[in-house]
Amino acid sequence: MDGVRSRPIWAFLTGPYALFLLFLLLVPFANVAMYSLHPYSPTKVFLPELTLDNYRKIFDLYYVRLFGRTLRLGLITTAVCVVLGYPLAYFLARARPRVQALGLFLLIMPLMVSAVIRIFGWIVILGRKGLVNQTLVALGLEPIKLLYSETAVVIGLVNIFVPFMVLPIMASIERVPPNLEEAAQNLGANWYRMFRRVILPLSLPGLISGCLLVYSLSISAFVTPALMGNARERMAGQQIYDEVLVSFNWPSASSLALTLVLLTIALMFGALFATRHASRRDIAS
Amino acid sequence: MPRSIELEVRDLIKRYSPQISVGPISFEVHEGEFFSLLGPSGCGKTTTLRCIAGFEALSEGSIRLRGDRLDNKPPHRRDVGLVFQNYALFPHLTVFDNVSFGLRLRRLAKPEITDRVGRVLQLIDLVGMESRFPAQLSGGQQQRVAIARSLVLEPRILMFDEPLSNLDFKLRIQMREELRSLQRRLGKTSIYVTHDQSEALALSDRIAVLSHGRIEQIGTPSEIYERPATAFVAEFIGSSNMLRARVVERSDSGTIVQTEAGLQLFCGIEQNGAPGDSGELSVLLRPERIHVEMPGGVSVPGQNRLPARIAHVTYLGEDLHLSLDLVGGERLRASVKNATAARSWASAQPVEIIIEAADLRLLRR
Repeated sequence: MDGVRSRPIWAFLTGPYALFLLFLLLVPFANVAMYSLHPYSPTKVFLPELTLDNYRKIFDLYYVRLFGRTLRLGLITTAVCVVLGYPLAYFLARARPRVQALGLFLLIMPLMVSAVIRIFGWIVILGRKGLVNQTLVALGLEPIKLLYSETAVVIGLVNIFVPFMVLPIMASIERVPPNLEEAAQNLGANWYRMFRRVILPLSLPGLISGCLLVYSLSISAFVTPALMGNARERMAGQQIYDEVLVSFNWPSASSLALTLVLLTIALMFGALFATRHASRRDIAS
Repeated sequence: MPRSIELEVRDLIKRYSPQISVGPISFEVHEGEFFSLLGPSGCGKTTTLRCIAGFEALSEGSIRLRGDRLDNKPPHRRDVGLVFQNYALFPHLTVFDNVSFGLRLRRLAKPEITDRVGRVLQLIDLVGMESRFPAQLSGGQQQRVAIARSLVLEPRILMFDEPLSNLDFKLRIQMREELRSLQRRLGKTSIYVTHDQSEALALSDRIAVLSHGRIEQIGTPSEIYERPATAFVAEFIGSSNMLRARVVERSDSGTIVQTEAGLQLFCGIEQNGAPGDSGELSVLLRPERIHVEMPGGVSVPGQNRLPARIAHVTYLGEDLHLSLDLVGGERLRASVKNATAARSWASAQPVEIIIEAADLRLLRR
């Protein structure tokens, strides 16, 4: 009887999605991994012999810079999202239900607009004769080059990814009863110390999930850097796209893609480990 | 001997909207006193407490701690400890870190922190629990940590917001007694908010009974119970029989009133604050002050002796609750001890009830 009870019928309902993941994610992924271990051939896609050359090439200055830039822009985007998103998450978590619903709607709205339209909007604002520069000129200042730069890429990425930072932080702050804040104040903590000793540690799980989400989404971004950045200062996604669809070097593109995935996974585990370690030490001190 | 005033609340008014407001409320709490704010939910007792703690701003009035204005200080500078209803322990901190939270904010040296936390944990019987997290403690233990966390800072006043309401019945009684003896030992001025009248009666030196944002009466537990100032206090504290009546005759020896059903009752010489002859009155009679006997007794001056019939008996183990129908059709509730004589009471039995004149209290309606 126990065996029957421990495998309820709904467990089988996860089957379709498991199959979906297996055939549309794991199998192609294995295929990509296979490509990355073969040499490039202009005529036959790849040659039937094993090599690590595709990975060795990543240590070329060009690719080191590419990944460095990708990870750096990812970090900057994540940091800006934390700075902009945390206060918003706190406000929404503590807002009255109506204000919260309206706020969430406004927060999610940019995600409902197609990427191309949203980016076109940014081009109108940041362009050479865009809103920002017109304002600067009207104030008697020199126009600045904003569009097609790293700054523009970060602005574009922050614009889409802030909700992914706000939502998990908000969820974890909502689970902190407001009277913990009052208790801390009653014990002599001003707002800043209350925040640092109570709200921040208790919202840490949400903050970590938010950072990991935004970071992994930013370093694998493609459309935003392609449309708002410039071709020389590109991110890894653009390089992979070009090697797949422009130079048809699938083995090289595969090795880049795998490196990106492995870097993401490694950084995620690193972040998780570091924060767990930090929070444990915080509790012990 | 009048003790010095520790906390003075003067004409406190808190307006939430034009329709909803609390106050004006005024009271004083003396040094070392255990003072309770008692009332049903929505009466303003928690609002008053939150105003003292600084979580709500007053609309009008003042709060003074030893003569110093308290109401314009931020909550973290008030030196007024508060034990929350659901304890509000920090779930990410151990018992030790919860209790030392305030001491560390005051940047005390580590040995002093350890020493003071150790002493307060000893006082509150939590030694050995230092490294546990709140989720690993029972409700009663969490309650103690919450008290210890406030107590360790040695605040001028310790305040409790319904601290026992989340505990089960037996633990509640036990914690009530511990709280009482702890407060007596430390002599700490305390303000206690509750809707449970038995808690307020058992713990307090004085009680303020609140209703609809106003104080109905302030007094010692026995004053509140024996001589309620208003019908609300009488009905809220303990159980009561309330009969509508009017004065028939007043004399030096007492007052005779007539109830709506035509029953004449002789009441003792009226205490201070009794309502005048005019207008409708209520007669208060506590269920445990009704003596039930077999019919045929002899009346004594100063007593009311009335024939009645037992409508039904509720068996409660320690006590019996009797519903009694009087001749005029009025019904009284009586509470008698479950002693040998009481075991013979049964439904439909004719009896006589005896009410001492001094046990009847007249209240303005």
